[in-house]
Amino acid sequence: MTIPEKSRRSFLKSGGTVFGASWLAINMPLILSASQAAEENQQAGAAYENLSAEEAVELGAWVNQIIPADDTPGATEIGVVYFIDAALGGFMASAAPVLRQGLDEFQQKTQSSYPQFNRFSELSFEQQTEMIKSVEDTPLFEMLHLMTLCGMFCLPSYGGNRENAGWNLIGFDHRHAWQPPFGYYDAAVHGEASVGGDEHEHV
Amino acid sequence: MSTSKQQPKYNTREEVDFVIIGSGAAGGVLAKELSTNGFSVVVLEQGQYRTAANFKHDELDVMFKNELLNHPGWNDPQTFRRFETETAVQTPDAPPPAFYARGVGGSSVHFTANYWRFHQSDFMERSLLGPMEGTGFADWPIRYEELEPYYAKVEWECGVSGQPGPFEAPRSRPYPVPPLPVKSSGVLFEKGARAMGLHPQPAPMAILSKPHNGRPACVHCGFCMGFGCEVNAKSSTLAAMIPLAEATGRCEIRPLSTVFRIETNDAGRVTEVVYLDSEGREQAQRAKAVVLSANGAETPRLLFLSESNRSPNGLANSSGIVGKYLMGNGHSVTQAAFEHPLNEFKSVQVTRIVHDFYENDPARGFYGGGGMDARPFLDSTPIMHAMTGLPPGKPRWGLEFKQMLRHYFTHKMSVLGSTTSVPLARNNITLDPNMKDDKGRAAIRMTYMDHADDLAMATFLQDRAVEILGAAGAKEVWRDPVEGGSIQAHLLGTCRMGNDPATSVVDKYHRAHDVPNLFICDGSSFVSSGRGQPTMTIQALAFRAAEHISRFAKNGEI
Repeated sequence: MTIPEKSRRSFLKSGGTVFGASWLAINMPLILSASQAAEENQQAGAAYENLSAEEAVELGAWVNQIIPADDTPGATEIGVVYFIDAALGGFMASAAPVLRQGLDEFQQKTQSSYPQFNRFSELSFEQQTEMIKSVEDTPLFEMLHLMTLCGMFCLPSYGGNRENAGWNLIGFDHRHAWQPPFGYYDAAVHGEASVGGDEHEHV
Repeated sequence: MSTSKQQPKYNTREEVDFVIIGSGAAGGVLAKELSTNGFSVVVLEQGQYRTAANFKHDELDVMFKNELLNHPGWNDPQTFRRFETETAVQTPDAPPPAFYARGVGGSSVHFTANYWRFHQSDFMERSLLGPMEGTGFADWPIRYEELEPYYAKVEWECGVSGQPGPFEAPRSRPYPVPPLPVKSSGVLFEKGARAMGLHPQPAPMAILSKPHNGRPACVHCGFCMGFGCEVNAKSSTLAAMIPLAEATGRCEIRPLSTVFRIETNDAGRVTEVVYLDSEGREQAQRAKAVVLSANGAETPRLLFLSESNRSPNGLANSSGIVGKYLMGNGHSVTQAAFEHPLNEFKSVQVTRIVHDFYENDPARGFYGGGGMDARPFLDSTPIMHAMTGLPPGKPRWGLEFKQMLRHYFTHKMSVLGSTTSVPLARNNITLDPNMKDDKGRAAIRMTYMDHADDLAMATFLQDRAVEILGAAGAKEVWRDPVEGGSIQAHLLGTCRMGNDPATSVVDKYHRAHDVPNLFICDGSSFVSSGRGQPTMTIQALAFRAAEHISRFAKNGEI
């Protein structure tokens, strides 16, 4: 296979602290049980295992800036905070101190910009957007960006991607087998109706 | 996780005929061939024994947590630098510089399965083109015609889907099964390439399009590049070779067994292989002969770790070139979006290729050649798409980002160009002087920067890709930067074969020039890099090596 140089750069930018590979290998059984618990928690709307209620609210505001709600759900509704909660108790445990320190510093920055508010989550959506723009080049942003994307599109057993909502959003249909035609442009070759709900010209 | 009841249990203190180090593309073939030929074989594999039932559609696990890559017992770091004047550094948690899968079947478990035969020219470009000053540019000691029967063996015994293309060398047998069904990326690539006057062809893939040798056809699940196959349709040695080795009753596979030294006696012969077993205990398996198939990074590492008074620079290294001439194949990636859905998350990566630019062409002004293919590449799974699949200069977060994900995931493809790598002594695998793994073994240090001609060839292919995608009707086309690779999945050339012991590590039969009962066969044996898809040739070499090694053993010539 060919190597995703870009994904490597993203790892570098996130400070290289998100995934603790060796820790992971040794603790796999623990992780699996933790993620099953996360899925159950998410479905039951239960309390968080590793995040305080306050941290969960702040993270919810953060991840909803990265994937906001519109006519479809945003990252929070899709379960990204539950994913982060489980991950911080599992395979991302080594990232927890870095994340918490970053959030503390961000909170101080927020308060100095908006002294009338106590927390980032109390700002208006537009004010939150401005705050995140000011930290776009930091490891905190890269870490939460990566965690949000993982929580959006991981297997639901990790606590995110609730009822496949992340996958449904982008048109990823998870099945264990497919038959041709696969897409619009190979439908004519395979002699079947076109794919993708589009009956215009074939290529 | 699985061991066959048919496996023997050899006593480590009794000599077996062969210890094979590594169970990947080469080691798996050698295990099957040598045990089938009547020899007792112990295979030492540092990874787990997973089977199809253990593989999952878990992108986070495979692509981000490196589940198939990590050492299963302990931290085994690597370091990287571009040039020998720099200090190599480790990047914790990023994909490792030497990128290979650990586990029975090795990297054949997670590979993309492009199976291009080399062309005749690949074995003799030094003779055809003349010397390249300051490089290790050389002919192979064998020719295509000598390897051809073994290419056919790979296609039939491992299982390759395809049909002969317009540029390939003569073949003795047709492909056993037809090409896989074309995807939208293949249709578009073919259309664009034909419009440019090129000659696209179905991609030869080591993934079964029809049932073959008792294995099922691909179900087009899409979790292919980087993943283990859940139905055994991908022709890994795990699926195609290891079961046959086990069925002989003469082959013992020992997973979770990490070799750290090959012992030699005063006569300069290998006596035993020392390893840490699944419990972390030191073991030593005696053997009449050893086959080293650990991959182009681990093989030289182990030779260095096996230094002795007789071989102070590493076992089998009187030439001083063990680890040198590392070749990784240059790449360029060109991404494109189309009006209608392609749904490239379904099925295998590649269904169409172009080999019009395979041969060297002096008119280009630089050495090299390459192949092109159409594939989803990193858009086959959602997280990788979200991280790497959107056009440059666009927002990475917020509503517009979300809306782009909704559009692009299903509407995209890429064209990948793969190129030659000029063999250079400055590109190499050595032991890191400062970094060790948790068991005290010196870490792999990779030093690598592509030759300017390799990058020029990659850019040339990217220019063609832009033209092809435009001719195919792409709405948007963008280029990933062409730059020196810092992660190599093709680990080639570090124990090159040759007739002269002063300039090569193994002879044309893969026997170490310095050690009569040590054979080395994997990507490290390569003299030139080919055009970007090496595993087919690694396996043809392994089938050929097994035949000669068996002959030597039967004749008492080891």
